[in-house]
Amino acid sequence: MYGKEIMKQSLPLIILCGIGALLTGSTLGLMVDILKNIPGLIVVIPGIIAMRGNISTALGSRLGSAYHLGAIDADNIWNNDLKQNIYGSLILSFIISIFIGLLAYITSVMIGVYPNALKLISIVIIAGIISAIILTLLTISIIYLVFKRGYDPDNITGPALATFGDIITIFCILSSAILIEVIM
Amino acid sequence: MIYNWKKIVKNGLPILFFTAILEILAGQILQGKQELLYLFPIFLISFPVINSVSGNIGCVLGARLASGLHVGYVTVTLDDKEMHNNLIISLLIGFITYFILAILIYFIALFSNLTKGIGLIEFVSIIIITGFLLLFIISFISVLAAFISFKRGLDPDDIVAPVVTTAGDITGILFLFLILGLFGVGL
Repeated sequence: MYGKEIMKQSLPLIILCGIGALLTGSTLGLMVDILKNIPGLIVVIPGIIAMRGNISTALGSRLGSAYHLGAIDADNIWNNDLKQNIYGSLILSFIISIFIGLLAYITSVMIGVYPNALKLISIVIIAGIISAIILTLLTISIIYLVFKRGYDPDNITGPALATFGDIITIFCILSSAILIEVIM
Repeated sequence: MIYNWKKIVKNGLPILFFTAILEILAGQILQGKQELLYLFPIFLISFPVINSVSGNIGCVLGARLASGLHVGYVTVTLDDKEMHNNLIISLLIGFITYFILAILIYFIALFSNLTKGIGLIEFVSIIIITGFLLLFIISFISVLAAFISFKRGLDPDDIVAPVVTTAGDITGILFLFLILGLFGVGL
C-alpha cells in the first residue's frame, strides 16, 4: 500500500520532468553544427545548466522561506527583501558564468583543444545572464501565483523551476552562440 | 529586511564553484567523445534525459529519507527496513521511466532521421542498462549523503540535492559511453 502511494505521487512528475529533459536534449540535437563550429562550447553545457538549476532553486526556496517568515506576501511582493534576493542571484550568475567560461577554456587548452577564449567566455556570460533574468522573473511569477492561491511555495517551485529551467537555459545557450557567431 | 545580497553571494559561492568544477569535468568527457555524439546525435538527445531522471529520483529519495530521519521513522543503519523499501521503489520508478522515455526518444529521433545504424531494441537496452547502473550509484550516494549529513548535525535537505545531481551528471555521462563501448556503437 505504502509503496503504491509513493509510486502514484512521484511517477507522473518524474516522467513529466523526463519529457522536459527530452525537449532539452532535442534542442541539443539541433545544435550539432554549431557545437562543431565552436570548439569548447560542448564543455560548458553541463556547467551552465547545473549553475542555472542550483541558483534558481535556491532562490525559489529562499523566497518560500521568506513567505513562511512573513517577509513577503502577495500584497507586498516587490519589497527590499525580494530585491536583495534578485541582486544576489544575478551577481552569483555573473561570477559563476565567468568562472565556467574561463575554466572550460583553461582545461581545453590543457588537453590540446584551442577554443577562441573571447568567443567562448562571451557566449557563457550572455547565456548565463539572460537565462538568470528570465528564470528570476519566472520564479517571481510562480511565487506570486502560489501566494495568491494560498499554496505552500516549497511544494511547487522546485519541480517547476527544474523542468522549465533546463529548457530555457539550453535555448539561451543556443541563441547566444548564434548571436556571437554572427557578430564575431 | 532579513536578506542582504552580499550574504546571499557569500553563502552561495563555495558550493557553486565546487559544482562548476565537477560539471566542467563532465563537459570535458563530452568533448573527448564528441565525434561519437555527432555521429549518433540520438545519444546527444539522450544524455540530459538520463541525467534528469536519476537526478530527480535521487533527490526525491533523499528528501523522503531526510523527512524520515527528522521525524524518526528512519534510523541511520544500512539495514533499515524503511530505507530498503524506499530504495526498491525508487529503482522500480526509474526502470519504468527509463523504459517509457527510451521509446519516446527513439521515435522522436526516427522522425528526425537520427537513428541511423541503431535499432529500437538496441537503443532501449542501452538506455535501460545505463539508467539502471546510474540509479544504483545515485541511490547509494543519496542514502549515504542523507545519513552522513544527518549524523553530522547538518540538514540533509540542503546537502542531498546538489551532491546527487552533480555526482549523477558525471557518472551518467561515463556510464553512457561505457555501455556504448560494450555494445560496440561507433566502433
